[in-house]
Amino acid sequence: MVEGGPVKRLFFTWFQPAVLFSMIAFWYYAPNSIAKASTAIGIGIGFRLLLQILELLFPRHASWQITWKELATDLFYVGVSYTLVNLAENYIGSDVAVEALQKGLHLEKFAWFMGLPLLLQAFLILFVFDFGQYWMHRGMHNWYPLWLPHSVHHYITQLNVHKGAVGNPVELFLIGLGIGGLFDFLPRAFLLAGAIGMSVGAYQHINVRFNSPRWWRWAFNTTEHHSLHHSQDFESTRSNYANTFIFIDRMFGTCIDGEAELLGMEGGRRMSIREQMLYPFTEGWKAWKERATRTPLFAPAEASAVPAE
Amino acid sequence: MPSLSALQVEQLSLPAEKASLLSLITWIWHIRGEVPLASDQSADEAFARIDPLFAHSGTTHARLGDVVFLTKKDPLAQDPLSIVDSATLRVEPSGEGSVLRYHLVCRALLYCFLAPLLFLGVAQLTLSLGELAKPTPEEKAKAEAKEKAKAKDSKALQLNPVDKFLGAPAPEKPDAEKAKNGKKKDEDDAPKGFSPTPAYVFAGIFAALYVLGRILEAWLIKRRFAKALA
Repeated sequence: MVEGGPVKRLFFTWFQPAVLFSMIAFWYYAPNSIAKASTAIGIGIGFRLLLQILELLFPRHASWQITWKELATDLFYVGVSYTLVNLAENYIGSDVAVEALQKGLHLEKFAWFMGLPLLLQAFLILFVFDFGQYWMHRGMHNWYPLWLPHSVHHYITQLNVHKGAVGNPVELFLIGLGIGGLFDFLPRAFLLAGAIGMSVGAYQHINVRFNSPRWWRWAFNTTEHHSLHHSQDFESTRSNYANTFIFIDRMFGTCIDGEAELLGMEGGRRMSIREQMLYPFTEGWKAWKERATRTPLFAPAEASAVPAE
Repeated sequence: MPSLSALQVEQLSLPAEKASLLSLITWIWHIRGEVPLASDQSADEAFARIDPLFAHSGTTHARLGDVVFLTKKDPLAQDPLSIVDSATLRVEPSGEGSVLRYHLVCRALLYCFLAPLLFLGVAQLTLSLGELAKPTPEEKAKAEAKEKAKAKDSKALQLNPVDKFLGAPAPEKPDAEKAKNGKKKDEDDAPKGFSPTPAYVFAGIFAALYVLGRILEAWLIKRRFAKALA
């Protein structure tokens, strides 16, 4: 629980719902001249800055305090994902895949979707994306080839505002794959979905403590859930896979309510940027070589074996 | 405590280095400074006091007389000297008393200094790939025809009655005038997905971060040494 005076407690109790509902109201009613992607980008940057200030002033754990080097490192990953990864997504990525799928199967977009109420459209856009993301993330934790690019993200030793971007760029494609592109939706519904996603998802990696309401903790992923997902305890990391809606984890029995402070892999070893970039490939190569040269566990019986009499 | 090799001793920087172009360049990622010791503080006492600063994972240090040599590998974020990759610290007489003189090598500062160049390079790459991705006149005509057909269809763009009742603004119809304006803009701008702006923004962010880090980290480290020695 947040400790301190009544104003501080009130602020940290109502901050999350107040942001979510004002975002919904804003994007629902904003005139078309304002309800544009550029406004969404501006709000997104402003919100990140605000959370960064909250993190500096009210850290959840002193052991997660942001430092100059940590901020510079995190921003490098943010920079790479906004530039190089976005650039590469012009050639490979979900949009390209959906377009190919539509052309190949002569599929039309589902136009009926546009006739649904705006908030339902927004919820479904988010839900469909999150549902796919849940299985991709769960797959990453259960299948070695997918684990390799994701593993380096689990070497973070603390949660901060930009830590969501820390990882191998290959993973960013995988996590970004979604089938949202099959639907035809109203632009406003898409902006609403983005705003809801931002107002809920921003707290996954953050060093601030909130008194999130019970319904919030039931429905949405929180810092508590995600800190457990990043904890040093192996079993705990195999939980809380959803990005936005933690109730997807509740549906499939992978949700654990709780929190952790000691994070990371190998007892909390910090990986350099260089190692983060190379590790999936070097480890993959090692695993491949080991597989090719190992003696099979159940080798066929040798011809010289003497049958028992 | 491991002893220093002859080579390492040779590499230790001299106490009174002359200012040169090289040292001006190395200033980018080398932090030099000194903290005065109390008049009765010996080198043994001073090193004993700063010793806890070295007790972090990934740190190796060795002392040779009045000099301590230090290296770090992948320090944790909360390590008070996390910015340091290698360092020499020496206690030297200065005036009436003595000082702790330190020379720290911080590669993170160098990488941050170079990061704007990387992002400017990314901006150039984005621009040149954007040039390649520009549609040919034939493709353009095709896309325009497609857009016109789409605009005809989109007349049906309507809000659900629930949203109409709640007063959400109706979606815009892409009329001919708007399409014209859009077309004009498209000709000048980079094709969608090939904007160099984010790369320029990150080049600026890292330039600002470097200036902040070079000043802040030098100040913080001096404060940490002074606090430990006090």
